[in-house]
Amino acid sequence: MRFMVLVKATKESEAGVMPSEKLLTEMGNFNEKLVQAGVMLAGEGLQPSSKGARVRFSGDKRTVVDGPFAETKELIAGFWILQCKSKEECIEWVKRCPNPMEGESEIEIRQVFEAEDFGAEFTPEARAQEERMRAQIEGRK
Amino acid sequence: MRFMMLVYPKGYEGNAPETVPDPQHVIEMGKYNQELTDAGVLRAMDGLDSPGKGARVTFDTGKAVVRDGPFAEAKEVLGGFWVIEVDSREEAIGWAKRAPMNADEFIEVRKVHDYADWPDEVKKEIENFQGLREKAEAKR
Repeated sequence: MRFMVLVKATKESEAGVMPSEKLLTEMGNFNEKLVQAGVMLAGEGLQPSSKGARVRFSGDKRTVVDGPFAETKELIAGFWILQCKSKEECIEWVKRCPNPMEGESEIEIRQVFEAEDFGAEFTPEARAQEERMRAQIEGRK
Repeated sequence: MRFMMLVYPKGYEGNAPETVPDPQHVIEMGKYNQELTDAGVLRAMDGLDSPGKGARVTFDTGKAVVRDGPFAEAKEVLGGFWVIEVDSREEAIGWAKRAPMNADEFIEVRKVHDYADWPDEVKKEIENFQGLREKAEAKR
């Protein structure tokens, strides 16, 4: 099963403060362990929300709001996708992660939906479409 | 440049742990995903299970502390994401506007850190990451 590991933003990450050399080194070492164990599928960092936008939906109406967004603790600063045998295994990996921020911080762990989670409602046609698209994405990398 | 489109579905924060998305909505999403694929902009996508089944790890005291979901304090909860590669922020927002979302939901568009965005001293460390990423790709 796959898990998305979300690193929450802080005032500093939202202000565009770059991580220290020490933290980057520790993070690099942690990433290396993830790769060597074969659990890391993806990982990215996001730029501060001040460079982003939100699109709100209401019927056919679309409203674009430019960042920054105030609720810093719920914003996301980066993520990993990890392949683990259980939620517990994923949590163990996250506990071994260096504190991703200089002060207080939080990481959220969420299971990724797989095709089998949707049951019969996810028709063979829809599954085939999904598989085709994923193959195309892989082919582009 | 790459952008992450973060989906914040309404009501997801209070859902029972076993909740799965409405099948009709999944079909509409499939069509939208196909448009992204056909346009050649889609790089990654996934949907996340109910936050009630997740966990949060905090590092406030320097030690990792684990709490299981659901989280009463969570107001806006991530439901899924796309990573797209486009020429501008405007193009990314244009794609977000076309997504099949319901009233009072929103998509947050955020730029992914690319190698060129980092200061020189950070690039050295990133080079290690890039090697790691290639290894991760090779293992898939």
